[in-house]
Amino acid sequence: MASFWDNIQNIDRRWIYLLVAGAVLFPMIFVANFPIELTPESLQLYNAIDALPDSCAVMLTFDYYPSALAETEPMSVAALRHMFRKNMKVVTISNIPLGGPSIAERVTREIAKEYGKEYGVDYVNLGYKYGYVAVMHGLAGSIERIFPADNTGNLLRDLPLMQTVKNYDNIKFIYVVADNATLEYWISIVNAQYGIPVGGGVTAVMAPKMYAFVESGQMIGLLGGMKGAAEYERLLGILGTATRGMNSQSMVHLVIIFLVIIGNVGFFFSRQDKGKRNG
Amino acid sequence: MRTTLPVIVAFLSGFVMVVSFFFGGALGDLDDNALQWVTIVGGFTLVLGVFSILRVNGKVVAKRGRDWPYKLATVISVVAMAIPSMLPVSTNTVGGRIFYSIFPESWGSRMGTGPSSIYDWLFNYIDSPMMETMFAMLAFFIASAAYRAFRARNAEASLLLITATVVMLWRIPMGEALLRLFSDSLPDYINMYVMNGFNVSVQRGIIIGAALGAASMSLRIILGIERTYMGKG
Amino acid sequence: MVESMSFLDHFQIWLRAYLILSLFSFLYKDNPFYKLSEHIFAGLSAGYYVGLIWQSVILQQLINPMFDGGQWWLVFPGILGILMFTRLSRNYSWISRVSLAFVIGNTAGIYLVSELHGKAIRQIWATMIPLDGGSGAASTILALIVITGVISTLVYFYFSKEHKGLMGATAKIGIWFIMISFGAHFGYTVMGRISLLIGRIEFLYYDWGGSLLSIF
Repeated sequence: MASFWDNIQNIDRRWIYLLVAGAVLFPMIFVANFPIELTPESLQLYNAIDALPDSCAVMLTFDYYPSALAETEPMSVAALRHMFRKNMKVVTISNIPLGGPSIAERVTREIAKEYGKEYGVDYVNLGYKYGYVAVMHGLAGSIERIFPADNTGNLLRDLPLMQTVKNYDNIKFIYVVADNATLEYWISIVNAQYGIPVGGGVTAVMAPKMYAFVESGQMIGLLGGMKGAAEYERLLGILGTATRGMNSQSMVHLVIIFLVIIGNVGFFFSRQDKGKRNG
Repeated sequence: MRTTLPVIVAFLSGFVMVVSFFFGGALGDLDDNALQWVTIVGGFTLVLGVFSILRVNGKVVAKRGRDWPYKLATVISVVAMAIPSMLPVSTNTVGGRIFYSIFPESWGSRMGTGPSSIYDWLFNYIDSPMMETMFAMLAFFIASAAYRAFRARNAEASLLLITATVVMLWRIPMGEALLRLFSDSLPDYINMYVMNGFNVSVQRGIIIGAALGAASMSLRIILGIERTYMGKG
Repeated sequence: MVESMSFLDHFQIWLRAYLILSLFSFLYKDNPFYKLSEHIFAGLSAGYYVGLIWQSVILQQLINPMFDGGQWWLVFPGILGILMFTRLSRNYSWISRVSLAFVIGNTAGIYLVSELHGKAIRQIWATMIPLDGGSGAASTILALIVITGVISTLVYFYFSKEHKGLMGATAKIGIWFIMISFGAHFGYTVMGRISLLIGRIEFLYYDWGGSLLSIF
């Protein structure tokens, strides 16, 4: 007959799903805010943007699929708020064929409206072109050669901002928000070969790898996942979706740690039981 | 001809980019033109995939094969997304003038891929939420996997388990407060020694190894030794 | 804000809520609602590519510059692109190799340089730092951890020589380092997946819940 610990280990997976869903929902109903602490990496990114001259041109990339929106959109929103506060000219681009340009269009227009920014003058959404390594290289020669028009088909020569932003020479910083390998190429191609400072935010899955590039000085600052976005929101003094989400994040992490402990205790005792039965 | 020509093209195409790194100005506009051409030619590969989807699903629908109503939904979805996005948005072009002589000109704002288009609406309200949900479901699976398979079976597995637990605690505000009960500097030490020490060293080893591998594979492609991208025949 | 929502706003919220719940229903078991949503998702995603390439490549990079800008030479990449479609033919699929070779060759040329110049060399350079060059004992310890970890990880993944003797001992250290790093990676991965779920449940709770409250 199966022991108590065997039964615990073989619990129907759907109970675990329900527990996880409950843990996400609970802090939304009973809100308890804990302070968001900063890491040196997020502070480094914030300071790098803050130190740029007001009104300079920067590039913000939307290199993520809709699947990662919960983690990455708060980063893009926070970056745009920071840039628009400093009256920077923002050129957005996406190296993701599925959704990237549409997300960039929606997010930039929303935030620009808040700050009274004008399309074509204060910001431009270049959209997408195939082959990110070729695009990254190509922009060094001429943005207009790769992107003759913006995301909605306006010719670049008709947009006032793009009269002053011709290639990387006119861009002071590239803020990459990504959920895939494109950030590595912004670093290994654009930063390494053209010397443009690169920093940004990535999904939590990617963050451990990107630490190596921050440590080597190839990348300035790093936001890792929703916590990274929440840190940036704190630095800007805003209560965004990432900060709000950290309550649920806390609860689910604790539940998963609890599950891991229970699972291991069960594993330990059921192994002991089996040993006794066999011995 | 069937293999020699592609090998020559790949060599020249790759060689131009390597030369442009060392002698940038010597090539004039050649490398910039090559990059522009790649963004154009490569774009067609994405559409090629869509043709395959339509062909495979269309065949099942035509034969009333297994799950054909679902395959029909796929085909209809492709068409619903693709057709309005390709229609002209104004009368500025010849195609636009013909189209809007038949249909009301007010339809223009709904065509194309702009912010108020059908394409954009379908993406924002149907496609994007579904993609977000598909990946959100992984949270349940990873929680279940952590419960069932994350076991301290030996020293190495225990090391993995302990680090994962510590990092999970460190990345949440509640956990950070908990860690500070042990030592006020504990969260900073985790960032410094676990993430910037142990983690960076391993990631760096992997990056160096993978970069050397990718570079040698690239060289094999340029020299025509690696030809698997051509497929069979 | 909720009170001022139009019928379209409500419809859009309910549509999204239905799609989310239909996909989540798979967690209980496979069912027709899930299957239908899954197939619509596949179709719309494929259709998205068509619109994107039509607007950003065919119109913006080919037709408009050729006919309005007089850049006739763009007909060549256009032909190369169209040749990709010979892939669909059994007899002429080999022609598509030329177009593919052009793209892959160019990408390989970029990779060859960037992988070495932008990654391998820079990462090796960052590892070769003086052990006493930093600020105190902490940076010396950190530098020691990094150099030991990089070398032992590389040794662990080097399979051309049997892991015996010094190689074996170094590889063993490599495994410990790798386990710590992968543990950190796992912790981060859990965090990432949970964040995505939070995004969905937040929508259901705040947006859909808000719509429900305003209706009933």
